[in-house]
Amino acid sequence: MSADPYSPRVRELFATTPHAGVVEGGVTVRVADQGVRVELSAKAVGDRVSELGFRAWGCPHLIAAAAAFCSGYKGQKVAHLQRFSASGLMQTLAVPVEKTGRILVLEDAVRSLGATIRQQSELHP
Amino acid sequence: MMDEFVYLDYAATTPTDPRVAEIMLAQLTADGGFGNPSSAHIVGRRASDVVDRATRQLATLLNCQPRELIWTSGATESDNLAITGAARHREHRGKHLITMPTEHNAVTDVFSALENQGFEVTWLQPDDGGRLNIGDLAAALRDDTQLVSVMYVNNETGVIQDIKAIGALCRDSDVLFHVDAAQATGKLPFDLASLPVDLASMTAHKVYGPKGIGALYIADRPGCHVEPLTFGGGQQRRIRPGTLPVHLIAAFGLAAEIAAERMQDDFAHLQTLHDRLWAGVSAVPGVVRNGSAEYSFPGILNVSVEDIEGESLLLALEPLCVATGSACNSLHKEPSYVLRALGRSDALAQSAIRFSCGRPTTSADVDFAVQRYRDAVGKLRGITPERAA
Repeated sequence: MSADPYSPRVRELFATTPHAGVVEGGVTVRVADQGVRVELSAKAVGDRVSELGFRAWGCPHLIAAAAAFCSGYKGQKVAHLQRFSASGLMQTLAVPVEKTGRILVLEDAVRSLGATIRQQSELHP
Repeated sequence: MMDEFVYLDYAATTPTDPRVAEIMLAQLTADGGFGNPSSAHIVGRRASDVVDRATRQLATLLNCQPRELIWTSGATESDNLAITGAARHREHRGKHLITMPTEHNAVTDVFSALENQGFEVTWLQPDDGGRLNIGDLAAALRDDTQLVSVMYVNNETGVIQDIKAIGALCRDSDVLFHVDAAQATGKLPFDLASLPVDLASMTAHKVYGPKGIGALYIADRPGCHVEPLTFGGGQQRRIRPGTLPVHLIAAFGLAAEIAAERMQDDFAHLQTLHDRLWAGVSAVPGVVRNGSAEYSFPGILNVSVEDIEGESLLLALEPLCVATGSACNSLHKEPSYVLRALGRSDALAQSAIRFSCGRPTTSADVDFAVQRYRDAVGKLRGITPERAA
């Protein structure tokens, strides 16, 4: 029997896709690479992320990772986004190593999101 | 409909018919045909009788002589034996072979191996519908061509090849013609007494028999022979030696007999289901059919959809059991080489889903599949971002 390629957490996140959608009036970034596309949108209050949303075109692991990121980073400091590493998500979700490149697209999108929010806050303090 | 899942992957494999399972089990125990059919004593003769009966059952389905059938472990072994065995048997006459890139791996990989052994292979491209252009074959045939191999029904798209016309051309050119009939045997008429086919591969598990048993048809006519690939016994005219698995052979025989009886009803059932399935699935925006609609086996429907990622689509379809490509390929995430050969882009090929219905499939199963497909595509489109500028 083929082993299930998806962990229970990936299945749950893929089925429910929490935070799927666009945060209206927020900052939006899009990254496309490795044959996948990730869009993240967010609002910040002060130095913290208040709302997060995602849209993604890719494999179930990527969609689950994007949903997991959005679920875990609400309320975190914006500054942390620019230092975000996807390695923790990969472990938590048991993402196969051959999909590392796709998950790094999410990492790029998160860091870009952090930089964009920071730029906007500097422009409109 | 089954309780926990809906199975529409009958092109990958079928459940064994309970009557077939019963006769198979009966050969395993002391009161059945457990003997070695090569043994001369009464137990061996009883087992040999079981094998003879099964051989006649399969021969009746195919309208061939029992002596023209060799038992194998399945279609993959039959393909290997037919292609390699025929190529080696006739290599003193020439080393040119012809096939198509849309064949099953069990065929393409054998031809690739033969290329590495000094044979020259011409790979004929299909038309947009997946069919072989007979003119292309005529142009490819040469004085040193020894073998042409083209499948009857494509395992991914269901496209039916014109094996009568292909075989006739081969006969005129004194070239052997091999047909991989794994998806067609017991499902479509396959009259080997009238068709110009020299070698044909088949397997039991695609036609409600068990896995592990197949057959190779070798036409009883001059020049048609295969060299063995295995050695070690005198069974089956030394072409495929080894102790015969009586229980599996008995099972394939009965599966063949049942298929012969049910073929027309099964076909009509599959046609009805196919039409219902295509009517529902084709209503989803962006859906395209892969392979000819005109020349297609109704048990298989292969569709792609624009801007949907295939792996996510497959997971979103659960508990619907379908395939992204052939079962042998679906663990690999590369776009189907068969669909790429039909001219599909990587993006469309990787979104392909193969629905394959079978005897137990109901209209309710098909309706469930259609609804699930619509929902899955809708869900994934709902979370698809716009393309970055």
